[in-house]
Amino acid sequence: MTTPAATVDLAPLAPTAPAEHLFRRIVSRPDGLFGLVILAVFTVLAAVPDLLVGPLQTAVTATGGRLQPPSLAYPLGTDEIGRDLLNLTIHGTRISMVIGFLATAITIFIGGVIGIVGGFAGGRIDAVLMRITDFFLVLPTFVLALILAPIISDVIGTGSTMLGIRTTLIVIVIVVGITSWASCARLLRAQTLSLKERPFVDRARVIGAGRTHIVVRHILPNVVNLLVANAVLTFAGAVLTETTLSFVGLGDPFQPSWGQLLNAAEEVGAPNLGAWWYFVPPGAGIVLVVFAFTLLGTALDDLLNPRRRTRR
Amino acid sequence: MATRFILRRLGQAAVTILLIVIVNFLLFRAMPGSPDRILARNPYVSPQAIQQTRERWGIDRPLIPDQLVRYVGATLQGDLGFSFAQRGRPVTDVIASRLGPTLLLFGLGELLAIWIGLALGAYAGWRRGGPIDLIGNGISLILYSMPYFLLGMILLLIFASTLHWFPTFGMTTIGARFDSPVAYVADLLPHLTLPVATVALGLIGQYSILMRSSIIETLSDEYITTARAKGITEDRILRAHALPNALLPTVSLIAINLGYVVAGAITVEVVFNWPGLGTLTVEALSARDYPVLQGVFLVLSISVVLANLVADMIYGRLDPRVRS
Repeated sequence: MTTPAATVDLAPLAPTAPAEHLFRRIVSRPDGLFGLVILAVFTVLAAVPDLLVGPLQTAVTATGGRLQPPSLAYPLGTDEIGRDLLNLTIHGTRISMVIGFLATAITIFIGGVIGIVGGFAGGRIDAVLMRITDFFLVLPTFVLALILAPIISDVIGTGSTMLGIRTTLIVIVIVVGITSWASCARLLRAQTLSLKERPFVDRARVIGAGRTHIVVRHILPNVVNLLVANAVLTFAGAVLTETTLSFVGLGDPFQPSWGQLLNAAEEVGAPNLGAWWYFVPPGAGIVLVVFAFTLLGTALDDLLNPRRRTRR
Repeated sequence: MATRFILRRLGQAAVTILLIVIVNFLLFRAMPGSPDRILARNPYVSPQAIQQTRERWGIDRPLIPDQLVRYVGATLQGDLGFSFAQRGRPVTDVIASRLGPTLLLFGLGELLAIWIGLALGAYAGWRRGGPIDLIGNGISLILYSMPYFLLGMILLLIFASTLHWFPTFGMTTIGARFDSPVAYVADLLPHLTLPVATVALGLIGQYSILMRSSIIETLSDEYITTARAKGITEDRILRAHALPNALLPTVSLIAINLGYVVAGAITVEVVFNWPGLGTLTVEALSARDYPVLQGVFLVLSISVVLANLVADMIYGRLDPRVRS
């Protein structure tokens, strides 16, 4: 934060650096290695939940008793309608991670476009875009998300599915995406501004390259690193926001994410009943994923971000 | 020059607040159906009230500028409309009645967190790599990754329903009558402990991480080396040289993060059934009580903008470089 932005050098791992090299550098750091291992475990859980615990249990297919503590048959106990919480938690992994992934994609896309366009175009366009960005930075975006969610679900309707995801969850994806892009836009604008002044961009301009060509061929490849590091950190934030939105009742009981399970546990009064098995497993999932992605994101940021801002 | 700095900041804050009001207006109009149709769905609202609303909002006039001007004017006068769910009670009343508990919970939690978090972070950064640093940093990162409400649920499970040290919900015992303020406080305190502890613990993680990295960065600065070379004691270097400079970025980061903290506070209230703005928001959400939701959004956004303004002023006082 103290390094002046004027003397930014490009990342030592320029886009041409082989991916294996980056991988080795990440696993040689304890935080990077830990993050990757957790990520791998949860990706497997999210990829094949049916193979591990069978299809998602519903009120109809539930087999256990009401709110049973962990036993041999149900290692994580059961919920208030007799569903196996191991089954629900592992299926929740997939739902939470898919929502987090889609929301991150939207966030990075909006933030990337606004940041690059603002930084590259400069002048009035930049001023307007950055005003909007600053406005979003100062707003309590979570509260904005709360009031946007019912409005958007009134507009696109609920109860149906899109690409196999229920529209309630699509609403969450959209809401998280349009409320959390601002810091990504700021970061990318700063990087684009400094790239724009570099000799290779000047050379491209002198030999007659158009704006689109310069952005796509010269600016984009040089901000990909930053985008990746930012995406990993954004993912952690998106999982947290999704969890919180589901917890306050915006989730979908038919495709329960971890946040939705916590919401159900709260509604049943699990903490008051001493039913720890209801909320500790999905809670642990959230904490581990967010923790791992924060560590991995910070490690990537250290390695890839030319500014090497010491973050947190 | 200082006056110009303050005026400019005030101007920016005013523009931001105006923008928030406009966003609020546009969101309300973006919903399917006009406001009076939503009112008409509510059996508690009389036809006269609907007609009044139509006239008040100027529904029959063009959206911009007529309706917008009326809306902004009404908002500036503190008229936020009427709650759907609470039988047409004015939103301003509804929010005002819930503001106190939130301020109490949140103010106390924030104060505790600033004290403990900054002290812990400063110590950890000062003794970097020491046992307190390693343990503290690990715990801080875990707290940082944990949603506030999950922390609240765990505290509730351990200290209220298992150990029975504290009551499980509410702000005071239901049905209790208090003869004196002392009796009231004696009942309030045990109810207050767990929610405040949740807010504080959640924030301590964040603040100590911020303060730790800030102090580590400050300690690598040249004037610290100079101070050491002059033979100033370590204790004095920390107190007189490193701390004041490390506090600066932390102050502004705390203000910037306030918006996220607000989100956390909402969910903590739900877990403990605390009768504040958070539970109000969730009730309004499930009843689709849009006027209340918008009122809450307005109040919270304006508080965050004002808090940022105050932080900027403090920052300006602490660091003369900012003013120029």
